[in-house]
Amino acid sequence: MFAKPVDLAGAAVFVALMAALPLAFPSNYLIGVLTVSVLYGIWAVTWDFMSGLTGRENFGHALFIGVGAYTAGFMNTTFGLNGWWSLPASMVVATLFALLIGVPTLRLKGPYFALAMLSGSVIMQRLMLIFWEQTGGEEGLNGLTPLIRSQIGFYYFALAALAAITALLLALSRSHFGLILRAIRGDEATCQAAGINVTFYKIASLAISGAFAGAGGAMYAHYQLQVSPQLFAVVTSITIITMVYVGGMASIYGPVGGAILLVLLTELLRNFGEWRLMIYSCALILILFFLPGGLVAPAWRRLRAALTERRTARTVPASQERSA
Amino acid sequence: MTALLEVANLNKHFGGLHAVKNVSLTLARGEVVGILGPNGAGKTTVYNLLTGFIAPDPGARIVFQGTNVVGLAPYRVAALGISRTFQLCRPFVGLSVLENVVVGALGSRAAAGGDLEARARGLLAQVGLGGKEGVPVDVLSYGDQRRLEIARALAARPALLLLDEPFAGLGSSEIADLSALIRRVHADEGLTVVLIEHKLREFMRLVDRVVALDFGEVIAEGLPDEIVRNPAVIEAYIGRDESAGSVVASHAA
Amino acid sequence: MLEILIVGAVSSAIYAMLAVGFTLIFGVARVLNLAHGSFYALGAYGTYVLTSHLKLPLLAAALLSVAIVAAFGVLIERVFIRPMRKSQLAVLMITLAVALVVEQALFLTFGSEYRNVPAFVDAKFTIGGVNIAGARLLALGVGVVVIGALWLFIQRTRYGSAILAISQDPQAAQYMGIPSDRIFSVVMALSAGLAALAGILAGPFLTVQPTMWLLPIVKAFAIVVVGGLGSIPGSILAALMLGYAETIVGYTVSTSWTEIVSVLATLLMLMLRPAGIFGRRAAF
Repeated sequence: MFAKPVDLAGAAVFVALMAALPLAFPSNYLIGVLTVSVLYGIWAVTWDFMSGLTGRENFGHALFIGVGAYTAGFMNTTFGLNGWWSLPASMVVATLFALLIGVPTLRLKGPYFALAMLSGSVIMQRLMLIFWEQTGGEEGLNGLTPLIRSQIGFYYFALAALAAITALLLALSRSHFGLILRAIRGDEATCQAAGINVTFYKIASLAISGAFAGAGGAMYAHYQLQVSPQLFAVVTSITIITMVYVGGMASIYGPVGGAILLVLLTELLRNFGEWRLMIYSCALILILFFLPGGLVAPAWRRLRAALTERRTARTVPASQERSA
Repeated sequence: MTALLEVANLNKHFGGLHAVKNVSLTLARGEVVGILGPNGAGKTTVYNLLTGFIAPDPGARIVFQGTNVVGLAPYRVAALGISRTFQLCRPFVGLSVLENVVVGALGSRAAAGGDLEARARGLLAQVGLGGKEGVPVDVLSYGDQRRLEIARALAARPALLLLDEPFAGLGSSEIADLSALIRRVHADEGLTVVLIEHKLREFMRLVDRVVALDFGEVIAEGLPDEIVRNPAVIEAYIGRDESAGSVVASHAA
Repeated sequence: MLEILIVGAVSSAIYAMLAVGFTLIFGVARVLNLAHGSFYALGAYGTYVLTSHLKLPLLAAALLSVAIVAAFGVLIERVFIRPMRKSQLAVLMITLAVALVVEQALFLTFGSEYRNVPAFVDAKFTIGGVNIAGARLLALGVGVVVIGALWLFIQRTRYGSAILAISQDPQAAQYMGIPSDRIFSVVMALSAGLAALAGILAGPFLTVQPTMWLLPIVKAFAIVVVGGLGSIPGSILAALMLGYAETIVGYTVSTSWTEIVSVLATLLMLMLRPAGIFGRRAAF
């Protein structure tokens, strides 16, 4: 089992809480905020799986999100296909993009890969504007059909998707596959000397990361019922990275907390209107300086340690009683 | 009997520098061969050429167990059964000691079959790191890091083990321990071992034969006792390194 | 044809000013500074503010702007980059965050509409039957002069030798007693000042709005990848190649495709020859 019982209990409590919130506080606004935070959670978790584990930071994660969203948009509006086809299709298209850009750039040093991904997302944004006749330009594609008509129904679907994706990626990260990714972060040359095809693993992890991020993008498209070039924006990629920093790099589950915290922060800052992004960016700088280990994962680790300690403290007297 | 490794015509130019000149050697299965040479002689470059980290100049022939390895990526060469250590220890930072060894086994050739964690534990016990499985590698002492390197290299079940200055930075008792370990591993696993060193004393007792390099060329080949008396070797050493020279002289005595 | 020649040269000059500064700071400090585009933006906005709000004469405003941005660059280096220098990616993140903060600050102060940076030369000239704005010619002229001056500075002065030394071998340079930190600050100031100057010269004929930092950085990165990180001649050559490639594409295909050229060039170069044309240090 890739997670200890206390971890599973924590996850169960978290999911239950997230599911219960809209029931306790019925409000379309709240459901909206929670849905967005869950989708960002998917994107943050997928980013962490690749970049957190291998240490190869991807500055253009928005590429996969946008590609997935536009795939959904085209399939739904231009080709009139049912929205549920968007999900597997967006994963396939996002994977193709991951291969297209990953193969030439992943064998290069960190900053090159990061900036290549950034360039890729910028280019896609441009292309959507250049081919405005096909893509709707600045306005994008409108009139997508929702996957699930009820707002709370879609929220539960998204929450389930987040839980499933996080569980899958967490299991992978704790398997030998994940061990190799972490070893790649440690020393690539030694990995090569151990017979590991480093390039393959980097590309595979990027493809997995991209595929699920693309699925999240498709879900987002069917939620907002429109797609626009803004999805490819640098700000999106940076926001996601911030969420991972806050959540705890390489923890896989931490970024979920990071996503929720930051989306909530954004909502709370709504009163500041135009100042929102400024506050965000300043917060990012502060986090980079003072919280490199993150907030959520370290907090959970401390909580878990406290919980398991208390349990051993309780059982010890019992065994002493028996042996006495 | 076919040789384990045949190397012929091995050359490497770095710009204008002819770093490795027409090196040829043959390894028989089960040998322990030492590569001797002063700093800058090209020893590590030879390792890098053999293991695919650097491409040799055209015309080189490197055949391992009947397979031509020239042009193969390093991971493929490793997967064929050649494991190497590095001159400066390069452990997987961020992983524990046990995880380091497990990763060593995850390259294609050795991954098939078996409980990797159990095998890793066994290897750690063999190299004398038993009990330190959970320790993060960055806090290990230098000697322990060297042992870990060897355990990691062995995890891949190689047929050929290339050690790059395994004794560097170690004190004399650590060297004796490590030397005994190498001998044990060689005997137990039936490995072929190549050893780069320039600490002559332990080196001489460990190896069956020596290939001496200087300025990228093979200047002498033979049994340890012969090499130590070889005038070209002595000149290469005394010309550059007094302390090694005196060791050479004391061996000759 | 002549028009392409001249317009291409102008673009190349602007790009060269951007790229040379970018590659200089990388060569010396191994830092990829994503806030480099912000210097470009601040140069343009600074001149705008000094001329329209403080009513300074244009030349004074431009020089003051360059000086302020250069100082700002040194500040960024000291406060944000230096503590993060152990990790190249950390520097990328922090400089990107700084770029975003600057963008937001400009947005909050000036709004998102395009602003007007006045041109030094309003007249239009006719060369060989081609109408060309004086501002563009000035950009070309100043660019050539400034880069030439920088080249001389690096080749002929002590500071320049120090810069070359650190680029080749940072540790050896330190052992020789070269004050690396001071050199970093000097290089940063030069780099920022050059970018600001590019912004001031290009301002009159390129768009001035808060997000104007992003495309220059994408292009500067493209240029230094193609030319070879740390190589000034490489940056100049690659800037010429990019400037002309974009201009030709703009005239023959359509202007909306010009942005793609740089990124395509980057990706192609990374695939085929990651060290760039003149790069000593490969990208891997």
